[in-house]
Amino acid sequence: MIKFKNLVVAALAVGSFVSSAMAIGFTKKSELGGFDGFVERMGAGVRELGRGNTGTADTATMPAAYWNSALLGFRENIGITVNFEKRDLDRIGGALGVEGKVGKRMGVGFAMLYRGDTDFKVIDDDDQTLGSAAPFFSMFYLGFAFRATRQDAFGLSLSMSYDNLGIAQYFDGIEMEDSFRSPVTINLSWFRQWNDKWSSSVIIRNLSFSENLSAKWSKNPSKDNSLASTEGVRPKVLQIGLGYRTKLLGKNVSAWMEAIDYQVADTLLAFDPQLHVWTGRVGFDCEVIPNGTLRIGMDDLDWMFGAGYKFDIRIGRKRFPIEVNYAFLYESRAGIWTPFTLGLRGYIP
Amino acid sequence: MKLGNIKKVVAGILVGGALCGNAFAAETLFSNNVFEVAPAGVDGSLWAVSRNGSYSGVTLLTFRVSDKGTVALESTVRKQVSDTLTAVHNGIILDDDEFAERRRIPSVYAGEKLGLVLPMFSMDSDDRYLQPAGFFSVVDAKTVNEFPMEVPSNVEDFKDPMKYALSGFAYDSTGKRLWMARGALGVMVHDISSNKGSKDTTFVLNAAKERLELLKDNTVLDSTVYPEIFDVRLHPETGDLWLATASGVWVKSSDGLKNISKKLEDSRVTGLWMGGNPLQIIAETNYKEKKNVVGGLWRIYGEKSEDFVKVDFLDTAGKVQKKDVYDEADYTVGDVAFLGNKAFVLVRTAGGSMSGYLKLDSLGVRAWEEDDDGKTQWLYGYETGATDRRAVIKSMCAFPLSKKRMGLAIATFGNGISVSADSGATWSVILNRAKLDNNLGSIRMVPSVITPGDEALVSYKVGRESKITIEVFSYDMRKVRTIVKDAVRNADAARSTNPKEDFWDGRDDHGKDCTMGVYYIRVKDNHGHIGWGKAITLGGNFR
Repeated sequence: MIKFKNLVVAALAVGSFVSSAMAIGFTKKSELGGFDGFVERMGAGVRELGRGNTGTADTATMPAAYWNSALLGFRENIGITVNFEKRDLDRIGGALGVEGKVGKRMGVGFAMLYRGDTDFKVIDDDDQTLGSAAPFFSMFYLGFAFRATRQDAFGLSLSMSYDNLGIAQYFDGIEMEDSFRSPVTINLSWFRQWNDKWSSSVIIRNLSFSENLSAKWSKNPSKDNSLASTEGVRPKVLQIGLGYRTKLLGKNVSAWMEAIDYQVADTLLAFDPQLHVWTGRVGFDCEVIPNGTLRIGMDDLDWMFGAGYKFDIRIGRKRFPIEVNYAFLYESRAGIWTPFTLGLRGYIP
Repeated sequence: MKLGNIKKVVAGILVGGALCGNAFAAETLFSNNVFEVAPAGVDGSLWAVSRNGSYSGVTLLTFRVSDKGTVALESTVRKQVSDTLTAVHNGIILDDDEFAERRRIPSVYAGEKLGLVLPMFSMDSDDRYLQPAGFFSVVDAKTVNEFPMEVPSNVEDFKDPMKYALSGFAYDSTGKRLWMARGALGVMVHDISSNKGSKDTTFVLNAAKERLELLKDNTVLDSTVYPEIFDVRLHPETGDLWLATASGVWVKSSDGLKNISKKLEDSRVTGLWMGGNPLQIIAETNYKEKKNVVGGLWRIYGEKSEDFVKVDFLDTAGKVQKKDVYDEADYTVGDVAFLGNKAFVLVRTAGGSMSGYLKLDSLGVRAWEEDDDGKTQWLYGYETGATDRRAVIKSMCAFPLSKKRMGLAIATFGNGISVSADSGATWSVILNRAKLDNNLGSIRMVPSVITPGDEALVSYKVGRESKITIEVFSYDMRKVRTIVKDAVRNADAARSTNPKEDFWDGRDDHGKDCTMGVYYIRVKDNHGHIGWGKAITLGGNFR
């Protein structure tokens, strides 16, 4: 088992590192950015953002319904997380999650992810600014987990998206449709805590009931069919995560790695490398002071730094663990710094 | 779309700047969606008829031309027409009307009293501008008169009111009479010769009896007896009244009313145009055969021609070709502009996927190029520099730039108008443009919402010659497209955009449509300046 584990670990580490360190050499037939699913790709949770958006192989990750629903099988308390970020170019986002234990071996959780633009100038053919719209894009997750053993848990989450472009009011001549909803898609996951140090995860995202089991749906931007309809496709994702915890100089240190394969086509399963985009995430955190953690990470080519602090709030006899997290983000391909992200996590014992 | 603050903007006066080369800055047109250009009756003046969403208007443009042929836009004055009426019916906007006679906006300059005359449409029960309502008389930029036309009770038999839409005008300046082709209702004359007011009389053509009969309420409008009249012209030399009808070309002269063309005797003639030196009379035939529209271009050239002959299409060497543009697609004529011995024939396919003008000389339609596959290119337009963006050309006209020089103008959907002072050799674009901050201080995507199949111009301004790189990023800042890389752009007082290159069509680097969503467009120069624009694409074809 150990040999097998080492093999898996080595493969994951190499794959993750290689894919995160370069912009992927495959010739792709489509750009990942042109597909649906950016809300999902950007992650959720400031704690996880600060260490490169890694979180699938960490039982403390929240919201687990998004990251890896199998983690819900390890919940002992009701956990709540609220996160907010303000990125350059008027982009705002956030995530919230509520999750808890059901019975002895099961867990359930809900997550909502939100991304939007607060100032999109609607300019017409005549170069006239008609006004400002605030398009937003959201995803909802409902996750369930079953802990099969002390070490293994399996999860299933149902997700769907709801988008609203907010521009219809500016189009008098067209009965434009603003809001679009995807069908429910299925995400399957497995988590294993190998020992005190190692953990791993495997997640398959965005399966649906279409011909190719793809998360595909039709979008009609006009009610009067004056505009051609289009179809959205959220790529199928294979996400493999790995976690390692140890002590360095007496400090708790963790390393996290994830390899993610996006299948950028509406196909059942394609092995053509041109239809796949591999990315990777790496992250490290260190508890530099008691309850105080510093983080660093890399999501594909974007760099992140983060910090977090845990404390308790006492109400009566009860203690409520709270964690405040902050992350600093550099989106390197666009050259954009994001200094303001803030997250809050807490548990109700 | 909403008109925005366009109503509040006073017409800008633009002085200077050569017409050849860079385009004009600032607000100029009522709307960049121009559907008709027409002479204004004064040297150096031009009317542009626009519609934007539910608003319609006209813009009077005045040009100044130097002895060397350099032209400058001198002034623009704009006027919105009533919210409930328009000269541009919905079939023109959508390019979905299958009948050639309705796929253009007829117009004529009818003297000082009436000015520019245009058809007038109101909304039908489905809120579509498809109800013929009379005609507009645009006297000047402050005075737009509405002339409702009576509809006889017997037209209630028509399910489609557009069957009696105005599709042709001719003005008799001597008799002070305006002739109007009314389709199934024949031809109407609007007589303004009396000082007491105008008088309208409608006639239908009785083909069997070869006469024009007064249309009465009890007239049975049987098209086999009374063929539809699609266009009307007055012969510039004889003054005879020419009628393009569903049963050939009829001429009313002192000898009576005759079907004058044996070749087009039974043809559905949907348009007539006269002009040039020597005189050319161009006719369009157009009918529906099963699902296809079959068009044809005919003409009488010079005094020696006795009847219409089909126009030859020539290759670049002047050899007559067996196939012409009508074999490629269902083209219909939008307008014809005459300059000397040449005619410029604007044609457009239904749906507007193809548009451009044909250059017609004494021998036929001249090709400007043969491509690598040996295909003859007859359509002048975007590829030959008539427009700087791939916009559908909706109208074309010749107009006097000065007493000595004629100009050409074309109207486009979304890209304003283009004007040429040298018979179409070079063109300049006039359109509305918002002010930009220097050194990439502001980036505007025009329009910022990209509908399927459309594209958005990346508008920016640099203060000195720069190498520009334009890239598109998704919301999560993944690069999806490089539009240009280190492309040289010059400093410009208005904007440094190259309209032929600096646009985004909503696709990624592999030509795939990007999904519906917000995208961020980064413009960088080689001097350290960076600007960002935003666009929403509504998606396109299934990947």
